Amino acid sequence: MRLGAVFVALIVLAGIVAPLIARQDPLFQTAGASLLPLSAAHPLGTDDLGRDLLSRVLYGIRVDVIVSVIGVPISAVIGTLLGLAGPSSRYTDIAIQRGFDVILAFPILILGIAIASVTNAGLPAIVATVVIANVPIFGRLARTAFLQQRERDYVVAAEAIGAGTGRILFRHILPNSVDPLIVQLALSLATAVFVEGGMSFVGVGIRVPAPSLGNILNESLPYLASNPNFALGPMVVFAMLVLGLNLIADGLNARLSRR
Amino acid sequence: MLAYAARRIPSALVVLFLASIAIFAVLRLTPGSPAVVLAGPDADPATIASITHELGLDLPLPEQYAIWLRGIVTGHMGQSYILGAPIATLIGRGLSNTAELTVAAVGLAIVIALVVGIVGATTGSRVLKTLVVTFTTVSFAVPTFISGVVLVLIFAVGLHVLPPGGHASFGSGPLTALRFLILPAVCLALPAAAVLARFLQTSLQHVLDEEYIRVARAKGLPWRQILVRHALPNAFPGVVTVLGIQFGQLLGGAVIVEAIFAWPGLGQLILQSFVSRDYLLVQDLVLLSVTVFIVMQTLTDLAHAALDPRLRLER
Amino acid sequence: MMNRSTSGVRTTRAQMISLLGGAAVAGFVAPGTALAAPKRGGVVHMAQVADVIPSGLFGQNFPNTAVGGLIYNTLTAYDHRTLEPKPQLAKAWHVAPDGLSVTLDLRTDVKFHSGRPFTSADVIFCIKNIQDPARGSQLRSTAAVIGDASAAGPAQVKLRLEHPVSNLFDLFEIMFIVDRETLPDMLSGKNLIGTGAFTWKQWNPGDSLTLARNPNYWKPGRPYLDGVELRVIPQTQALLAALQAGQIEIALGLAPKDVAALRSNKSFQTLVSDTHGASFYVGCNVEVKPLDKPQVRQAISYAIDRERILKEVFSGLGVATSTPWPASSPAYDKGEAARYHYDPERAKALLKAAGAEKFETTLALNSGLGPGSPMAQIVQFNLQQVGITTTTASFDAAQFIKKLAGGTLPGLWVNVHGFGQLHPATLVTSAFPFAAAKNASNFQDPAYVAAVNRAWTATNERDQRAAYRQITEILLQNEFVIDCVLTSPSYVNVPALRDYTYNMFDYLNFEDASLG
Repeated sequence: MRLGAVFVALIVLAGIVAPLIARQDPLFQTAGASLLPLSAAHPLGTDDLGRDLLSRVLYGIRVDVIVSVIGVPISAVIGTLLGLAGPSSRYTDIAIQRGFDVILAFPILILGIAIASVTNAGLPAIVATVVIANVPIFGRLARTAFLQQRERDYVVAAEAIGAGTGRILFRHILPNSVDPLIVQLALSLATAVFVEGGMSFVGVGIRVPAPSLGNILNESLPYLASNPNFALGPMVVFAMLVLGLNLIADGLNARLSRR
Repeated sequence: MLAYAARRIPSALVVLFLASIAIFAVLRLTPGSPAVVLAGPDADPATIASITHELGLDLPLPEQYAIWLRGIVTGHMGQSYILGAPIATLIGRGLSNTAELTVAAVGLAIVIALVVGIVGATTGSRVLKTLVVTFTTVSFAVPTFISGVVLVLIFAVGLHVLPPGGHASFGSGPLTALRFLILPAVCLALPAAAVLARFLQTSLQHVLDEEYIRVARAKGLPWRQILVRHALPNAFPGVVTVLGIQFGQLLGGAVIVEAIFAWPGLGQLILQSFVSRDYLLVQDLVLLSVTVFIVMQTLTDLAHAALDPRLRLER
Repeated sequence: MMNRSTSGVRTTRAQMISLLGGAAVAGFVAPGTALAAPKRGGVVHMAQVADVIPSGLFGQNFPNTAVGGLIYNTLTAYDHRTLEPKPQLAKAWHVAPDGLSVTLDLRTDVKFHSGRPFTSADVIFCIKNIQDPARGSQLRSTAAVIGDASAAGPAQVKLRLEHPVSNLFDLFEIMFIVDRETLPDMLSGKNLIGTGAFTWKQWNPGDSLTLARNPNYWKPGRPYLDGVELRVIPQTQALLAALQAGQIEIALGLAPKDVAALRSNKSFQTLVSDTHGASFYVGCNVEVKPLDKPQVRQAISYAIDRERILKEVFSGLGVATSTPWPASSPAYDKGEAARYHYDPERAKALLKAAGAEKFETTLALNSGLGPGSPMAQIVQFNLQQVGITTTTASFDAAQFIKKLAGGTLPGLWVNVHGFGQLHPATLVTSAFPFAAAKNASNFQDPAYVAAVNRAWTATNERDQRAAYRQITEILLQNEFVIDCVLTSPSYVNVPALRDYTYNMFDYLNFEDASLG
């Protein structure tokens, strides 16, 4: 877990100090310098418009960090609350579950395109998509965990003592239901980057020429065979982020289940 | 069990109705229309207006909505504005192709997840554990649009053993059809397999730590019996939920995979028809998608409740 | 060797060599092959990224150019070098000296695929059809000039024009002659009946289209091929892979960088069409300040590095230009085409003189247009260097076209326009960015309207050329459409596929093609 934390911290840090360590303005195009290989001047080479890839990747990290750090926690909170609120009565349970179904049934890209078309492409659209797409995921997990925990001895005991519903919910059930939610948190953080990349794929993501991990990946696709270094940066950073988040999730999981 | 399913029907209909209004509204709110797309890049306003009228898009919105719903209910779904073919034909073809791909991918994902998940949860070897983590991380982390292109580069352009894209029906020979199916199915399956494997592993690890498992081991029961008859069934419920969610993600992921491998399925159809504002087609496809999902969720919940009686809300 | 005229007459070797001296023919010439007899039989598999749109066959849009010319014929077809019409279904014609009437003599040996003979009634039907705005033809205004079309017997059509026009034969270049009895089937994609070398056999929408040889084609012995299959492969990477894997014999619409890379590959032939019909440009909405000042727009034109765009976005496959006319156009002038060379200093000086030294505006782009994004980013960078800051706004195709048609794009935009390769009058009357009456830039100028009218109605060459000069000068002075790079479709095929051609509208033609 420590390794995971290190990975993630490194990357996030790199993103934060990007203005200090990036050698070039990520938007600066050098005419005639397109698709250069790795070199001292350009540690990751240049892209098809002659821009330094290392700088672009560093700045790109920021975008994805923002999307994940803002979107996922919001969706986790909303989703969990809705998931826990459901089983309180049959009506609300059905209503919420069906609502989740409608959202989950929409292919996420279509959701993204629809949101971006109505609100205009860019960061807000991506964050909105991440939030909306993740709420049902967290909701269902919370609900399942809650239902499983509800029958357990300690809850029955607490009810017998006369503890109120709210107290039972927050002091007993929630802490014990939280494991799958934590794992999902890590996974959703990574998926948020995908959403950004997928939306850029169809042209409704971060607006060019601003760099984002998804944007750069997409721009590198036509050159995968001829200039693989183009895709190298975003792929490595992305893999490290996901790996790191997974390791953190694992570590948390292990710690929590030992309780 | 059947009663449980039957009780879900009214609410399912409500969801469908709400979804139909949602997609109708979203499409009309999104700027652009099929008339614009048909008129083409050199369009002038007069042509657009004329095509709009010919398609009946200048009728009042509630009337257009009613016409659409009537079409679905009576089975006369009309023509695609953009593609010019009957919608029923387009959807039928797309559905069978996507189903083929998705079923193959789900099957592959389950098999891979079982193997990887069980190995990950039960092995003591550090090497194996690292391999498992690496596999799940890489499979999940690499986006389908990268893994797809890499697979094509290796197997189609490099080794020339598999076709780079396209589709062959089983009518032209099962072996040929499989050759076209393998790469997109693997590409689609990998992320789902990774997620499933992780959840299964976590879930299984939890269960294996529980009292009753330790008791069973102390009693001397054979390991395989413990695994199959006690541990796995208790690990399944959470995984089944995830499977349900993954199935939905699979349908969404199919959009990209179908684009890369030129697989003529619903994912490709819905993406292209949304971009070209092919109203009727998109609306029908979204309703179909919602219906499929509701069915899947009901099945998942049924399976869930069957496996774990604690989850039955209705007693 | 490739035949480049569609009249069925093979060019001589001397002509071929002089043609090769010209720009943009990227082909591989095998001196001996012109004399070998074409082999009969075989099915050509071709692929492109989008499927045909049967209901759009009367509007001139990209996905249909691959098959329209295989199923249908047109009345005439231009020689690519001289823009002189050559006979197709019309074997002779006579234009009255006052330009107000035209008589067409039609071939009598032509049958539709259904067996029904082709007659003047079909021509009249097609003209009336293309005048209908719902058909979405960009040449509607030209067709509207035909006030009356009547049949003088089954093999002759008399047209009465409202006024003389210089570009009537552009209409005949583009207008498919379709079966008047089965129009609904055509629009619904059920069955497309024409007179062309191939018949509509089976269509799996979004997947594949199969055409079969027309055994009763009016050109004796043609076509040599047994059939053509069009596959839809929506991703250019997969398209390229299919060609390299031998699944298809010809790929249409590959990305310029892939075409350029394949040029040196002996296993394939690359051909870049010489029509240069597609011009990538930067448009200006003259209602948005300070784009209302012509000096500002000229400055923008000087600020753009066209050569760099040609090299980095189009891999050199095209021609940098300041005017919409390719070299084959009667309006083409070498000096004028090079008027706006890359000169950031001059741009800055012009901006200063106009009192707009630093300003901000929007640069819109159509996300469905591949080269649009990199081109927009280069333009944005170029403008930054002279003090103009732009925010990019990416719209999907439907949204973009809607704004374009409404003249509501909020500043600058990057897009592509066609029709510069035909008669100049067609561009300025039909292409919406240029239309004198109302255009996407909201540019209004009585002098422009007058010049356009003169070009359109002039009957003798001298008046026409004078009018073209005037139009070009107005365009260059006002730069509400800043043309940058002229491009053409590209075809990459295996050497076994020979002798396919295309007309000035890039309708593919396989009547003389063979696989062998």
